[in-house]
Order: sequence, then structure tokens, then C-alpha cells
Amino acid sequence: MKKIYIGAETIISPLGEDVRKNFAAIRDNRSGITLISNAGFNDDAVYLAKFLTVTPTFASLIAATLNLVSDQLDPTIVSSGKTILIVSSTKGALDQDISDQFGKSMTVITEQFGLKNQPIVISNACISGVLAINAARNFIDAGLYDHAVVVGCDLISDFVVYGFQSLFAISDKPCTPFDTLRNGITMGEGCGAVVVSNTASIFNNSPLGLLPGTTANDANHISGPSRTGEGLYRTVKKTMEINNLVADDFDFISAHGTATVFNDEMESIAFDRLGLNHVPLNSLKGYFGHTLGAAGVIETAASMQMMRENLLVKSLGFEEQGTTKELNIIKKNTTADLNTILKTASGFGGGNASLVIAKR
Amino acid sequence: MSRITAYCHLNEEYCSVNGAILAERDKESHDSWFKQLYKEQEFAYPKFHKMDALSQAGFIASELIKRANPKIVNGYADDEIALLFGNRFSSADTDSRFRTSYTENGAPSPALFVYTLPNIVLGEIAILNKWYGENMFVVLPKFAPEFFVNYTEILISTGSKAVFCGWLDITADRTNVFVFLVESEAEEGIDCNVPNLREYSGI
Repeated sequence: MKKIYIGAETIISPLGEDVRKNFAAIRDNRSGITLISNAGFNDDAVYLAKFLTVTPTFASLIAATLNLVSDQLDPTIVSSGKTILIVSSTKGALDQDISDQFGKSMTVITEQFGLKNQPIVISNACISGVLAINAARNFIDAGLYDHAVVVGCDLISDFVVYGFQSLFAISDKPCTPFDTLRNGITMGEGCGAVVVSNTASIFNNSPLGLLPGTTANDANHISGPSRTGEGLYRTVKKTMEINNLVADDFDFISAHGTATVFNDEMESIAFDRLGLNHVPLNSLKGYFGHTLGAAGVIETAASMQMMRENLLVKSLGFEEQGTTKELNIIKKNTTADLNTILKTASGFGGGNASLVIAKR
Repeated sequence: MSRITAYCHLNEEYCSVNGAILAERDKESHDSWFKQLYKEQEFAYPKFHKMDALSQAGFIASELIKRANPKIVNGYADDEIALLFGNRFSSADTDSRFRTSYTENGAPSPALFVYTLPNIVLGEIAILNKWYGENMFVVLPKFAPEFFVNYTEILISTGSKAVFCGWLDITADRTNVFVFLVESEAEEGIDCNVPNLREYSGI
């Protein structure tokens, strides 16, 4: 198996305009979630992790993120003929053009950065980000490209807020993943990026290792999680098997943890079936909200920062175990050697995805 | 050698399987074109009527491919068939309908909202067939044979044995669907390469 690297992680979110500020916020257990008046369908106030002082567009946020990525790399990489840009998103530039949510933005980015290869948009609901990072690794492993820049970006719109309200899925307080009193998601917005490469020397800071990941469908319901966690169980099991990993090899799990009653219960069942109950676990949704197609990339980037700092960050909003299967949810920041971590995601359409990052 | 063992086209005029026309649209009918096909081909899957057009198209094309190549139904383990679909405009048509539900029709419709993601069609096909394999939905400016050939090979090299591929361009005024099945160990079929995909896709 080829050694493939991941690094140059960055985040722009309501918590800050670069990865350093974002990590400082989560290290301080500070949330980006605030109560936004008149945000709901009936002009009700809704808790959201929303940009308060700026209103970026989809393309402008991706461009700002790509500039931050370029600063952490050999400057020729982003526009190299050996590089592919993979964007993960659910709703793209919906507020600007509902009939073409991605095409125009991708053209703008391609021209602005002089990209040589047509960017690929992965739009696979809430697993988009993890899937995009896995796809990046697959492309490089197959020798099609040497480098991939993976950008996850989604913005809050009336469209998604009203939609999740119509499903009665939005929490009436900042979301509390895995807690006994959790009652729904808090939407978030932002942009994250990582660079996946076969060449360690392109990175200014030493990269981490990205192992192969997988996806699996629940084959159960288009908008509800499986009661047995089948798809999540299957993707993590496959990922563990192809990497010859056992439960004890993991130092941390960055779970999906949306804070809906059924999702978090499903995850607890899947992790229990996998014998992963004891592994320290958090959901970062209490900090960033649920950033939909960006979530997998933002949360992977934040988890990479945790690995670099050897710090298990508290699962914000969690007080008391609220799932039938017990999990080792991180109650306060704790120093630990984080050598091998698991990132998972689950979403509408029955998708589940997992990836593993390891230090060299 | 990976081969295309069955394929289906669906446009505004007709539906064909392996290049042979199966049905032509009756423009006088009160039923939508996909509903006409559902009735005419005697499908019995009531969930079809709840689906949006993108999912209906994926349902019809994948079911017709199964009929043309029935051995795939029992020929693979439940996680050996991957789904790799894409299009140009994501779920734009359903997105506009959902937006209309709250801008003009009183309240956001949850039944429409759950279809405002392009990958829902993959979930519908997975549910129907109890397929637990790999899934990916991509948005590209046009049908890209290179992408489908390359990523199908990647899926096959990482454990999938067959890949259902689909290009589903469905907008208010346009239907251009090409779904094809690639099998990794097929003895017969069309070699899965870029020139063949370009030729057989007709896109």
C-alpha cells in the first residue's frame, strides 16, 4: 500500500477565519452557535452556527479557503496539472442560483486559481466530506493524480433551515450530541480543507498519514437512520479490515453525532457492535453546528489539529449518557497520545462513511 | 477486464435498453412520462409514487437493467454492487419545488425536502435491492467518460465486483438519462473504456 499523506488542514467558520483560531476556540470549549432572531419559517428565533459579521458566497468562501491552503504548501501545487480539486457540498450556491448550484462557482474557482483539471463536486448529503477525502486518496493511490485539495463548503439558507424545521429536526437549544436531553440538530455553516498527497515534502508542516476508507449504505430509509446501525457498522468494519486495525488501535473517534435522538442512538449501536465503546469519542457539532456537506472536512481538519496537539477535546453539550449503548464520550479536555483516529459520517440517502488518519 | 453488461437510455422521447427501444412517450397521456413507463412496464413498487423525478428515473433505469441482466440479482453479495451516479444540476428541479412550497404554497413540505439531495436516488436503489455497497454522487458540468471509467476501476480494485453507473440529467424541460452496469468478471459485454462509453452513452 502506498503511503499517502494528509495535511495543510484549514477551517473558516463562525469560530474564526483560520485553523488556528478555530482550534483555539474548540480548545477553550467555545461554541460558534448563537440564537439568531427571525431565522425560522415563522420568523422564530433559531440557534445556528452562522457567520455574524460577514456574508460570504459559496465561491468566495472556497476561494478564501484555497488561499489559506496555498499558504501551507509548495505554492505550485494548487494549480499543478497533477492536482485535482474535490469539493464536497450539499447546496452550493443555492441562494444565488437554485437551478445551477455548482457549475458557475466551479468555473469561477477554476479560472481564479488557474486549475488544470476539472474540479469534481461530491454531493452525497452529510457523508460528502468524508467521502471526498476517501475519493481523493483513491485517485492518488490509483496514480491518476499526485495531489488532491479537498474543500468542504456549505452555507445556511432559509431553504435548509425551513427544510429541517419541517422535519422537526432542529434543536430548541444549542445541540447536545449523545446527551440524554438532546432533541435535534443545530445547523452550521463554514468551509474546511485538507490536502491529500503522495509527496510529504509539499507540506510546510509535517503531514499525517491517510489510510484507505470506505462507505456503506444502510439500505433502510432515505431520511431516517438504521435502527441497527448496519451501514455505519459495515463501513467501519470494512475500513478496519483493509487496514488490519482492531478496536484497541484507535485512540479517538470523531463521530458524526448530529444530536437527533435517532442518529446518536444508531451510532451508539454501531460502535457497540464494533467493540469501540471504550474509545474516547466526541461530536464536534456542539462547536460548528451541523455543516452538512462541509462537516466531514471541517471535523477531519479539527481532528487533525487534535492529533497534532495530542488533545482530546470535550464533546460540547454532553452531560449525561443518552444512548442505550454506552460510549466513552469525552467530558473534559484531556491530554492523550493520539496516533490513530477514526472519523465517521452518516446521512440522508442511507450513506455512511469512515476514514482513518494515523501519525507516521 | 471490466465490461458493460447492460445499459439503459431514457430521454424525453423514448426509453431503450441495450440500444433497443422499449417504450415511446405518449404525449397525449395525462400521466407523467415516468409514470407511463411504470404502468406500461408493470412495475409494482408503490414507493415509486412518492419519489421525485430523479429517483424515479434511477429506479426505472436500474430495474430495466436488472430485467435485461437478471443474473445480477443473485450473482453478488449484498455489498459487492457499488452505485456511482452523477449529473450536472444536482437536485435543482426538486429544490425549486421545495422552495415554492414555502414561498407560494404556505409551508415547507417535508415530503419534498427529503428529495432535495441528489444522492437520494442512490438510497432508493439501495433500499429496493438491499444493497449495502459503496455509494457516490458527483456533480460535473457534463458527462465525463474518463471519470466514470477511472472511478469504476477504483471501486473494482477496492472490493466492489459490479458498479451501477448513472448520468441523470433531469430538469423541468430536459430528460437525459444513461445508466449502465459494469461487471468486473463478465465474459461478455462491451469493454468499459472511454471511447466505448462515449459511443454508447450518446451524450
